[in-house]
This record gives sequence, structure tokens and C-alpha cells, in this order.
Amino acid sequence: MQRLCYLGASIKVKALTQTKKILATRVSEAEAIERAKQGDAESFEVVYGLHKRRVYSLCLRMTGNTAEAEDLTQEAFLQLYRKIATFRGESAFSTWLHRLAVNVVLMHLRKKGLPEVSLEETMEPQQEDAPRKDIGARDNVLAGSIDRVNLERAIESLPPGYRIIFVLHDIEGYEHNEIAEMMGCSIGNSKSQLHKARMKLRDLLKVTRGERAARRGQGDRETTR
Amino acid sequence: MTCAEFQAALPFIIDSGGTAEHRAHLESCPVCRDLVADLKYIAEVAKLLVPMEDPPERVWESIQRGLEQEELPARPPGSKGRLLGFSR
Repeated sequence: MQRLCYLGASIKVKALTQTKKILATRVSEAEAIERAKQGDAESFEVVYGLHKRRVYSLCLRMTGNTAEAEDLTQEAFLQLYRKIATFRGESAFSTWLHRLAVNVVLMHLRKKGLPEVSLEETMEPQQEDAPRKDIGARDNVLAGSIDRVNLERAIESLPPGYRIIFVLHDIEGYEHNEIAEMMGCSIGNSKSQLHKARMKLRDLLKVTRGERAARRGQGDRETTR
Repeated sequence: MTCAEFQAALPFIIDSGGTAEHRAHLESCPVCRDLVADLKYIAEVAKLLVPMEDPPERVWESIQRGLEQEELPARPPGSKGRLLGFSR
């Protein structure tokens, strides 16, 4: 866990340094936004540079597909260019852009077949994808055993309905009422899907941990031969 | 309260802690306690995930092409921007 915190912190510092570099060598974000609102192309490029990573990562995590994430990042920034003049600064720009990007992804997923309302019926994974029930069985706890790479992989392999809610709530920090509004579902439904997503992740992460332990065991046996 | 009842309510009480009955069950049941600990741990680690990847350069190139090709709404009066003025 300590290692994970350190890794997270160092990546955040790196991202911050990149942002600072852009700001120091060119203009402040607020200035860039104001100029981009007037149609200034170079300032729009600065805005892109500052936000591309977060928007792309969001698209990638929500779709689990690189090609789709690239297309959706492009679409999000094209929409940003069209709409940036309507940004009034009532919320932080990053929050506003982020919401725009989420809407672009959701619109795309709806076109692909994500339902407007009934997440429960049509986004419910097949039986084999569903998390197992945990009633009455005690297993080892996960505490301290998850690293970023394994969690990212597990999230990627979640069924789409689970993945979207998990990414929006647990990674991006949206509240259930916001997710319900964006997804066109009830708050209860959002909570229920999030719970199933976490349960499924727990199953996946325990399998990964089991496989790692088995590999370690095999390595130890080979060393002692 | 049984484990089944507690776990059925869990999606809706995991943040709030639920009723006194829920809390009493959690205190007395190691299975449900492990489950709640795991789910909270997953949520906690997920919060530490940061945006990791920049999009490839071709994404920006596509955006530039898109802006150049499409008929964008008229810019406000006094606009000083040029769509074809991207520096890359």
C-alpha cells in the first residue's frame, strides 16, 4: 500500500510538473481558456495539452478499448472547441470539460446499445460474469495486496455496465445522484451496480493473487530441486 | 440479522454504516466484516488511480483536421483566432 501511495504521488508530481512547464513557458490556463473562447488556435492547443491525459484516460477506462478511446478523445475536444465559448466559469474548467467528455462517452455507448434507463435488465452481465455471492464463506482479505497494474487490468475486464459505474464513482469521484442523472437510471440502481462491480473486482483480484501465489510456490519448488 | 440480509442491504448502507442492527451484525460476523473491508479497500485503491496515458500524437492531428474540415459556428465579434493556425 505504501508503495502504491508513493507511485500515485510520484505520478501526480510528474503530471503537475508537465502542467507547470506548459504554464511557465506559455500562458496560464485561465488565459488560454479565455483566448480559446475567442477562437485562438494556439491557446486551444495549450488547453488540449493540459487536459488530454485526463480526458484520454477517462475514455480508455470507460470503454476499455484504445481505438474507441482515441476517437472519443478527438470527439470530446472537437465538442470542446464548439462549446468553449459557453463556459462561464461557474464550475472549475476541468470539471466542466470532464463532464463534457463523460457525456461524449455515454452518448457513444448508448449508440452501441447501452440502454437509456433500464441498466438492470440490459446491462446485467451474463451469469458467468456475475460476481459470486459471499454468504457464509470466509476467505483471505485483500488488504495490502492490490497494486495499480492488477487493479487496472481487473477494471478493464469488468462487464461494460459495471465498469462504467465503477469508473465514474470510485475513480472519477462522481456521486450516485450525478451518475443516475447522466445514465438515466435511479440512484438505487447506481448503488447496486457499483456494489456488483466491486464484488466482481474482488473476485478477479483474488484470482490474480491466487495465481501469483501459485507461481511463487512453483518457483520455490524449482529452486529447491 | 443473517449474512444474507446484511449483504442484500450492503449496496445501500456501505457508506452510511446502516442501522444499529446492521452495525451489530457487522461487529459479530467475520465473513461480512472481511467482505466490507475488501470492498472499501478496493474503493480506496481506485481513488489513487491517476490518469496514466497521454493520447498518441495522431489524436491531436485528427482534431486539427476535424477543426479545419468542419464548418464551425461563427466566432464572436473581435475574434482573433485562425483555425488553420495550429502550430504542429
